[in-house]
Amino acid sequence: MNSFDWRSYIDRLVRFWRASLQFRTVAITVLLSGFAVIVIGAFLAVSISNNLFASRSIQVQEEARTIHNQAQSTFDAAQPADDQAPTVELDNVANSVTDKILPSTTSPGSTKFTIKRTPGQAETPQNIQPLSSTNFPDEAVTDSLRARVIKDVTHVQLQSATLPGGSPALVVGSQIRVPTAGSYELYLVYDLSSVQTTLGYVQRTLALGGLALVLLIGAVTYTVVRLVVGPIRLAAETSEKLAAGQLEQRIPEKGDDVIATLARSFNGMADSLQKQITRLAELSRLQQRFVSDVSHELRTPLTTIRLAGDVLYDRRQDFAPATARTAELLHTQVQRFEVLLADLLEVSRYDAGAVELDLEPTNLVRLVEDAVDGMQPLAEQRGSSVRLVAPGGYFEAEIDARRIRRVLRNLLGNAVEHGEGNPIVVMVDSNATAIALTVRDYGIGMKPADVSRVFDRFWRADPSRQRTIGGTGLGLAISLEDATLHDGRLEVWSELGVGTCFRLTLPRERGRAIVSSPLELPPDDAIHLEEVQDA
Amino acid sequence: MTARILVVDDDTALAEMIGIVLRSEGFEPSFCADGSLALAAFRETTPDLILLDLMLPGKDGIEVCAEIRTESGVPIIMLTAKSDSTDVVRGLESGADDYVVKPFNPKELVARIRTRLRPTPTASTTVLQVGDLQLDVAGHEVKRGTSKINLTPLEFELLLALALKPQQVFTREMLLEQVWGYHYKADTRLVNVHVQRLRAKVEEDPDNPRIVMTVRGVGYRAGSSN
Repeated sequence: MNSFDWRSYIDRLVRFWRASLQFRTVAITVLLSGFAVIVIGAFLAVSISNNLFASRSIQVQEEARTIHNQAQSTFDAAQPADDQAPTVELDNVANSVTDKILPSTTSPGSTKFTIKRTPGQAETPQNIQPLSSTNFPDEAVTDSLRARVIKDVTHVQLQSATLPGGSPALVVGSQIRVPTAGSYELYLVYDLSSVQTTLGYVQRTLALGGLALVLLIGAVTYTVVRLVVGPIRLAAETSEKLAAGQLEQRIPEKGDDVIATLARSFNGMADSLQKQITRLAELSRLQQRFVSDVSHELRTPLTTIRLAGDVLYDRRQDFAPATARTAELLHTQVQRFEVLLADLLEVSRYDAGAVELDLEPTNLVRLVEDAVDGMQPLAEQRGSSVRLVAPGGYFEAEIDARRIRRVLRNLLGNAVEHGEGNPIVVMVDSNATAIALTVRDYGIGMKPADVSRVFDRFWRADPSRQRTIGGTGLGLAISLEDATLHDGRLEVWSELGVGTCFRLTLPRERGRAIVSSPLELPPDDAIHLEEVQDA
Repeated sequence: MTARILVVDDDTALAEMIGIVLRSEGFEPSFCADGSLALAAFRETTPDLILLDLMLPGKDGIEVCAEIRTESGVPIIMLTAKSDSTDVVRGLESGADDYVVKPFNPKELVARIRTRLRPTPTASTTVLQVGDLQLDVAGHEVKRGTSKINLTPLEFELLLALALKPQQVFTREMLLEQVWGYHYKADTRLVNVHVQRLRAKVEEDPDNPRIVMTVRGVGYRAGSSN
């Protein structure tokens, strides 16, 4: 559970990293500057500590030498004038030496000393009692240091050590020759905790300064990136709104910098886009209006022509054969013209968006039966039989019966027209969300390029082909609009020489999405359909 | 007796052509080309039926229709260049009995006219009871108690069709065939709008109908007599 949370947190971070340029820039800047600050800080800390310790050790050496010389000269000067009472005097000298040691150091409080007799030397006439300042850390004086001190008489020996308290220290040792009492070792222990404190303070300051610097850089980067990214983000949002159709959206133009230039050129683009779109929309509206007006205006004279034509047609027996035929032609062509006009009007109504559905629960199978019955005479005339395959089930659906009937008439008409006299199979089926019907013919079929254009207005697969049913070329375009208006789909499958299948899928209820169509497209092959038919 | 028909249309060619068709079918047409003169023409000629164009100069066909309805139940058939839903419904709501969409053919027009002019089917009984209403079939009268309710011939016929078979539920298609004479799928809005108009006149509470009952998903039936 915990690890899962951790992973999702990482995922979120990764997503945020990808999504936010601002976050990415700030993060990279902070990381890199943090790295730089750490390197510089470490270098500074190391060199400062080296310097501090080096200078202190030089100082300590100098001091130790001075003290050594002082002590040596004090002992040398204390040569007894007579040999009467040398011992007492020597102890006094030693005391006076030790009294001088502490005041001559730079930090008397943190300096300790001891004077030890060098071991392993012959008996001397006199002995100085070992002297130590209080709390002298004996363990700081190691055997190796003592060995070095004993070996090298002329120089002071330096060694770093750690005091029992844990603070670093320098131990300086030197050999003093007391004329009557042999050789002694003088050890000075310098407590370096004050240096350590200084160093710690410097390091802390460096760390804090570095952190503050990194944070500052982060904040500066954030601000700068915000300044740059903000307008870009605004531009992105605005262009999205523009793309969504809010053509009046613009970016505020401030200043003369590159961002303002971006805003200006963006707005310029938006202006010209808006102008173009408005112009095209206006043009399209005018055109639609024109089609609509023309269709409407044509209706009244067409009505008169139709009435006149029909009156003549009804009396054609009274006319001479040529005139009678003229009346017949007039009659049929006026009818054709009327159908074309009706389709044009319907299309213009769709283009104007002035179409409303008249929904009522309808039994699709019954509707299809009616349409098939209506098409039967024409199909028989072309040698095709139309079969209806309805596997059963619940077919009531909310549809605009008039429009769906029109779609069916169109599909059936096309199937009869291009079916080459082969059987035509109409299937109806439904599922929980959708009802569907397919109209399948086994005729000439279409090339793939033609299939994609089949719903275009006034498009014909083969212009040279003789038309018998006399469609207007708008039928499928209107059918597609009808299906779309129902939130449904009208799809086509076709193969040259194999046949064509149209599938209409409609939602069972208004406003409910179609999950899947109950019927297959491309259709199950002919054999399967034959079996269903026989069963 | 030849039926007189008033043709209200501003397109003279179409009006003349309709006149030719009507005369050849034995009707007696008269004409009016201006919406604002239509009411005067109606009063003058007292036609048996009016063919009314929706797009008229002077006064809109829908207004003319409403005006005539205030003083007469004479059958009105709209001639409309638009099959747009809103116009048709507005026309029907203003009182038109039926409509014909341009371009129409002569047979269609004549069939519509004849349906509206045919005599009311004779019933075996002379007085029918629907809910608390009495229908005097011969006298074309509807009474609630002693007060007379004015119905247009079409509304009377619609109510009569329901009242003659009180047990039967009528689908809209059945009513379209029986009352409007459509033998094919026609506009069911005709039924819907006229049922609304009828209810507005005969129901005491049109929102809670007792005379013309709705049978959900099927159609309408007459309210029970008791």
